[in-house]
Amino acid sequence: MQTRDYRDIIGGAALIALGVFCAVHAAQNLPLGTVTHMGPGMFPMALGYILAGLGVLVAVPALFRPGRLPQPDYRSLAAVLVSTLLFALTIRTAGLVPAIVLLTLAAVLADNKLRFVEAALLSAALSLLAVLIFRVGLGMPIQPFIWPSFIPSF
Amino acid sequence: MFASFIDNLTIGLTVAFSLSNLFYCFVGVLLGTLVGVLPGIGALAAISLLLPITFHLDATSAIVMLAGVFYGASYGGSTASILLNLPGTPSAAVACLDGYPMAKQGRAGVALLMTTVASFIGGSIGIVVMMLLSPLIVSAALKFGPAEYFSMMVLGLVAASTISSGSALKGIAMVVLGILLGTAGSDLETGAGRFTFDIPELYDGVSLVVVAMGLFGVSEVIASIRTIRRGEIDRKSITFRSMIPTRDEVRRSWMPILRGTGLGSFFGALPGTGGVIASFMAYAIEKKIARDPSRFGKGAIEGITAPEAANNAADQTAFIPTMTLGIPGNVVMALMLGALTIHGIVPGPQLMAKHPDMFWGLVMSFWIGNVLLVILNVPLIGLWIRLLVIPYHLLYPAILMFVCIGVYSINNSPSDVVMVMVFGGLGYAMRLVDFQPAPLLLGFVLGPLMEENLRRTLLISRGDFMVFLERPISATVMAITAALLAWAAFGALRRRPAKAIEAT
Repeated sequence: MQTRDYRDIIGGAALIALGVFCAVHAAQNLPLGTVTHMGPGMFPMALGYILAGLGVLVAVPALFRPGRLPQPDYRSLAAVLVSTLLFALTIRTAGLVPAIVLLTLAAVLADNKLRFVEAALLSAALSLLAVLIFRVGLGMPIQPFIWPSFIPSF
Repeated sequence: MFASFIDNLTIGLTVAFSLSNLFYCFVGVLLGTLVGVLPGIGALAAISLLLPITFHLDATSAIVMLAGVFYGASYGGSTASILLNLPGTPSAAVACLDGYPMAKQGRAGVALLMTTVASFIGGSIGIVVMMLLSPLIVSAALKFGPAEYFSMMVLGLVAASTISSGSALKGIAMVVLGILLGTAGSDLETGAGRFTFDIPELYDGVSLVVVAMGLFGVSEVIASIRTIRRGEIDRKSITFRSMIPTRDEVRRSWMPILRGTGLGSFFGALPGTGGVIASFMAYAIEKKIARDPSRFGKGAIEGITAPEAANNAADQTAFIPTMTLGIPGNVVMALMLGALTIHGIVPGPQLMAKHPDMFWGLVMSFWIGNVLLVILNVPLIGLWIRLLVIPYHLLYPAILMFVCIGVYSINNSPSDVVMVMVFGGLGYAMRLVDFQPAPLLLGFVLGPLMEENLRRTLLISRGDFMVFLERPISATVMAITAALLAWAAFGALRRRPAKAIEAT
């Protein structure tokens, strides 16, 4: 137990920061208009201030009560985010199959339940499944492999 | 009146029984049962996953399939509750209370059969309610002006964030954040870029699929990897013979099923509430009026049949406000609304008149889907039990793969995949500080509509905000909203947050 409820303090502070940022950004970059004839900036600015106000209501009472610190699972977070990023980076340059293989190999690092050989088998199975469903079944124009341009294609 | 009703039913049956719609209905309920049975992927994640695929279908087939996933998941959700004490979907959480004790007493078969029967009765009556009530609501809604629409949307959002999630204050904050996110992109009237930061990918705003998949798909995977444990199931104990309930169990079930259905139909049709709250209330009521409340929690059949009937009835009536007013009552309905909008169909009072084939075809497909679900859930129960044994560490890479390919395939754009990653991380951070993603998505979908109606109202009223209180329907709706807020504030002061009830 912590002496303060940091979970809500962090959450509330994030809301305040986000709200103020949106309100100020909208007010400075967009015409506000009048209430009768609202410009594009009015609605986002009002929402930003409301959000910041709600953030205050979340954070302030939390200063005076005990709570628990959130316990992030950094490893799962990193593995999942990196695997989606790898997919995004390789789908256009290397093709569907390499993208899925990289995605799978990064994703299994979140827990140590699979050995490398098993992970490789899983990635092969998923690649096959994806090609069958999306390429053959649904006819989507996704290239299974894209060869680097210095290798002549056949 | 009656003749046109028959006409509509005929149109609906023709549409629903077309070969392709039958096929997509079947695919929908099959996938729905699958995600319902497997804990760790909700109906929400499944529907956001399927959204990109439905872009390739015609609008009716798309909505028939997505709806099938939604109510199919409710059928499947109780299977894991009963067998593993681990709810497959939030609304099936109540089924753990008495379903798991029944399984431990060796009566899992009876529990599984009775939840299917209760689901079927609840769902069927819910469909009838939808058929009768929708035309009435439409005729009222045709008189709505922008002020009424704005008020209804405020009510829907406030109800969704105060009733169903943990903290009302945080829920409302998430709604506001969602509306803000919805303003990103070009302004409807002036075309001015808002929150685009000169990034071309943001000119059209953030796409619904990206937000939904990130918040519900990716973040659910991150949170589940190390928390989901597979239990042991005694597969051989569930035979057809073991499914036959005793005469006493049948006698004790039918009234609770009807009460649950009534409760579910009501809460489903109310914007902002839904299956989760209906099933919890159905359980509480049965326990309260039971002659011997101590049986509950130890395997009372009413403890599973009433909530299951309630949440399936609510699933069907939830389509009423969505289709007739264009105001989704829960997040799944928000996704349905998004799917329709992408197909160029605007749900609202005009929908039934303009697209009767779609509306009545959808309603009729619910009947087909519910019958298919009974078939899928009773004889094929062995198949689903086998699926429950698939370990999560083999499942989650597959889920991630479907998320990535699905998002990429919408625009062939890798930057959409990067956005999903960002929303996945954001969704996980939100879970850590106890913010629900569901109200955010609801606000995101309704935000642009709200802004449009607000601007229009104030233009007509020359900037006078009193217009919301001067028009009788709008004033009534605003009064209900204020009452809800007061009730939530009172509840917060009394420090009795309804922790057990999660957002749908």
